Amino acid sequence: MNPAGNPSMPAGAPAPLDPMSLPSDDSVNAYTFCVELRGSQWFLQKGKMIAYYGSIEFNGIGHGRLDRLVRTSFHSPLHASDWVVAEGQGKMLLADRAFDVNSYDLEDGNLTIRSGNLLAFQPTLALKQSIVPGFLTLIGTGKFVAASNGPVVFMEPPIRVDPQALVGWADCPSPCHHYDHGYLTGVIGGVRALTGIGGTSGEEHQFEFVGAGTVLLQSSEALMAEQATGALPQQAGVPGGQGAPGQHGQRGQQPGQPRLPGQLGDLQRRFGL
Amino acid sequence: MPFREINSKMVEATILPGQRLFSQRGAMLAYKGDVTFTPNIQGGQGGLASMIGRRVANEATPLMTVEVPQGLDDQGGTPTGTVLFGHGGHHIQVITLSGDTLYVEADRLLAFDGTLQQGTMFMGSQGGVMGMVRGQVTGQGLFTTTLKGQGSVAVMAHGGVIEVPITPQRPVHVDPQAYVAHHGDVRNKLSTALGWRDMVGRGSGEAFQLELSGSGAVYVQASEEKL
Repeated sequence: MNPAGNPSMPAGAPAPLDPMSLPSDDSVNAYTFCVELRGSQWFLQKGKMIAYYGSIEFNGIGHGRLDRLVRTSFHSPLHASDWVVAEGQGKMLLADRAFDVNSYDLEDGNLTIRSGNLLAFQPTLALKQSIVPGFLTLIGTGKFVAASNGPVVFMEPPIRVDPQALVGWADCPSPCHHYDHGYLTGVIGGVRALTGIGGTSGEEHQFEFVGAGTVLLQSSEALMAEQATGALPQQAGVPGGQGAPGQHGQRGQQPGQPRLPGQLGDLQRRFGL
Repeated sequence: MPFREINSKMVEATILPGQRLFSQRGAMLAYKGDVTFTPNIQGGQGGLASMIGRRVANEATPLMTVEVPQGLDDQGGTPTGTVLFGHGGHHIQVITLSGDTLYVEADRLLAFDGTLQQGTMFMGSQGGVMGMVRGQVTGQGLFTTTLKGQGSVAVMAHGGVIEVPITPQRPVHVDPQAYVAHHGDVRNKLSTALGWRDMVGRGSGEAFQLELSGSGAVYVQASEEKL
């Protein structure tokens, strides 16, 4: 395959994406989602836009012109500072810390999702705070984008879910807490509860779902460590990135520092001194 | 066998009444049916001696027993439990054992069949002092956990896992940091390629390699990060 007639491209390499070949409101790969704006608006969480083509304006919730939009489709003052509205013409790529990203369509439905997992949604949906703390509910018709650690697994109730693994749920009327400490009863259990010997299983508390609906699960909510972008790796041999400070403090040249007389400058670095 | 891979980071275990399995504490994601989770003081199988052995060897990972009580459920059928396991967003590899022994670090164990025999092995027993050095380099320490018998094991790794078969003619060299587990009749030794370049800090970064020979398989993760 020689994409787009580019002779320098090696055969079999993936075609580079341009504004024409980027999908419209669809996933680019498992980790990136592309939103097409044609004078329309999208709500997105701050910092989840990674690139865009065209002219797109990003305004925080509370920007005067957006009052009407916010009044109809944003009902979560708690999260107002985390959200912006993208508006304009072009294509916008969304991603979140290498998590799997998926889009979901709601048709006159409702879905509740962990607030940190929701990346973006169309203003045809209304965002509301769920009764369950830390969760947001989307009501209406439209598309939204959510991130998850590993692909999302859909399960049918009745099911009990570890709170950390829960991404969200749709149409389930009765999420409730379930406590299970059967092993803490009886004589041995009493000793266990009093002394703490044996520890806890860590699974005493679950969310229980019954009734008709769908429960969305992820592998874990443990987040990957965020790394500062643009930082040079702290390794020997990487220009600009000095080894661990202190260890290599005497060696090499700090980039911003004036060079001391008697030093060999770049020649010194070339010999690794 | 009880483990089914749902995706790269989640496995599903189906438990019949009377069956049990061990899993790392806090690794349950969701379950259906009447399943009990009991913290296991002993950290696995065997009696008090095995427990003390594991404590001394520092291979005592907090485990819990997952089981379905025997008897009939409300509808008069046999109750079956379905449990989803996953932990920390790590990739999971299911290894099925048919009579041979799996060598793995205890903290990499996500869940394993209750029928498997759990043991602790002293690294020095394979190659004496060199075995101990090997344990230090691979991060295994002086001891490692063994699982033996018929059944399957879910092992965690950072990044995806590749299974590399080992045949008598073809020994396999593995980066000690990417080593996850191995099973079968395998001898391993640490091969060093230390030279003066490593001494002056200009080495290739691949001075230590784990050489595995014999017949079996080694599991390697696509990352040099420890769990």
